[in-house]
Amino acid sequence: MSRQRSLEVILASEYVSIGELVRLTGTRYSTLKFYTEEGMLPFEQAEENLTRRFHRETTVKQIQKIKQMKAEGMSIPQMKEWLARER
Amino acid sequence: MDNLTLAQQFSLIGLNGQDSLYQTVVKKATLRCVAAAVVLEAWLEGVFVWDREWFMIDPLSIDSFCEEPYRSLVMKTLLPKGKNKDLSWWIRKVSGLSKRKMTQLEKAITDPLRKQGLIEEIPGLLGCDLYLHSSGVEIKEYRSDSQSFLTITESVRAEVLEEGTIPDEAICMLWLLRESGCMHDLFSRNEIETAGEKMGALYRGNPLAKQLYMLRVRRGIEMAYKQFLKFKSRAVRTQTGSGINFLFPALERSQSVFIEMEAWFSNPERRLRDIKNRLESQGHKFTILREGQIPLIQIDNVVYEAIPHVIYGRVPIHGVRLLPRRPF
Repeated sequence: MSRQRSLEVILASEYVSIGELVRLTGTRYSTLKFYTEEGMLPFEQAEENLTRRFHRETTVKQIQKIKQMKAEGMSIPQMKEWLARER
Repeated sequence: MDNLTLAQQFSLIGLNGQDSLYQTVVKKATLRCVAAAVVLEAWLEGVFVWDREWFMIDPLSIDSFCEEPYRSLVMKTLLPKGKNKDLSWWIRKVSGLSKRKMTQLEKAITDPLRKQGLIEEIPGLLGCDLYLHSSGVEIKEYRSDSQSFLTITESVRAEVLEEGTIPDEAICMLWLLRESGCMHDLFSRNEIETAGEKMGALYRGNPLAKQLYMLRVRRGIEMAYKQFLKFKSRAVRTQTGSGINFLFPALERSQSVFIEMEAWFSNPERRLRDIKNRLESQGHKFTILREGQIPLIQIDNVVYEAIPHVIYGRVPIHGVRLLPRRPF
């Protein structure tokens, strides 16, 4: 297991891991993993066994958007539909 | 899992790992909640309409709602003659469903799920136990499709544990999990506290939760039995593991499965090989999550610790005891 990157380094990076997204957004790991599996958070992955990389800026914005939609009372299927329409 | 109804989603959680051949006490509690989920589905689909201060059933939309056999079975069985009744009346009526109706409901809800490949009947893990394996007793249980199971449970967890508004479907699911005693299968102890706080807030501010959360579909004796089984698995802590089954394995065998080893004083690799052989011979799907002295094995959606153990009879028998580790 590699050493955790500092917050400054993470904030300067273009790509981040799912664990770093947890630190950036305060969202639970399993929730982010679930959102990713449901296709709500786009990621890049060189090969199937390699780590998924998330574009920091767009993914953080996307998570904030999801949080906002949840606060407005949308359910996960509704959010998925909305995000798919927007893409 | 957007295409599955509330009752189907709850069935995949509640029936996973339950005996499929016999009506056990725990399965009866689950089936009663499946019936309640059908009533709640009717609420979610607008079959219940707001009438002054209660949600009442709309006779015009009940026929189109009952096209699915499992819905028809529940609604037509409970449908009151004469005066219209409110949601709480329907939920109370669910708790009085007969054993015969519950058996019919089990078939009606599982058949379509089976056809879609979302639930299957597999040999029960208990069948791997030394005594049952050697006596040839047939034990079967339900296994939900792993991916669907994970999607449903993670969706509920995301809806409930994250900040923001909780949709009506999740409000109903929380109540069903509470009534069926499945909360501990989805949430850790800390998360249950959070879920409890959320349920309290919903009770104070949401009209559906206000009416629903004060209702009980469970029967005290069933819950007490289930809680007793859970208590037993946690009560005793030894150097090698926890669970009263270490002291009294004959009390409850579904929580703890003993697999004997071919050789005495096996090393961890040989122990794991013997476990794999037994699981494969019984047709189980499993993943070794961790090797070593106490391996961690995921079998049919549940994670087990394989702890070295000895049974002392006329001759001591060396083996491992599989104990479920929750929350997964």
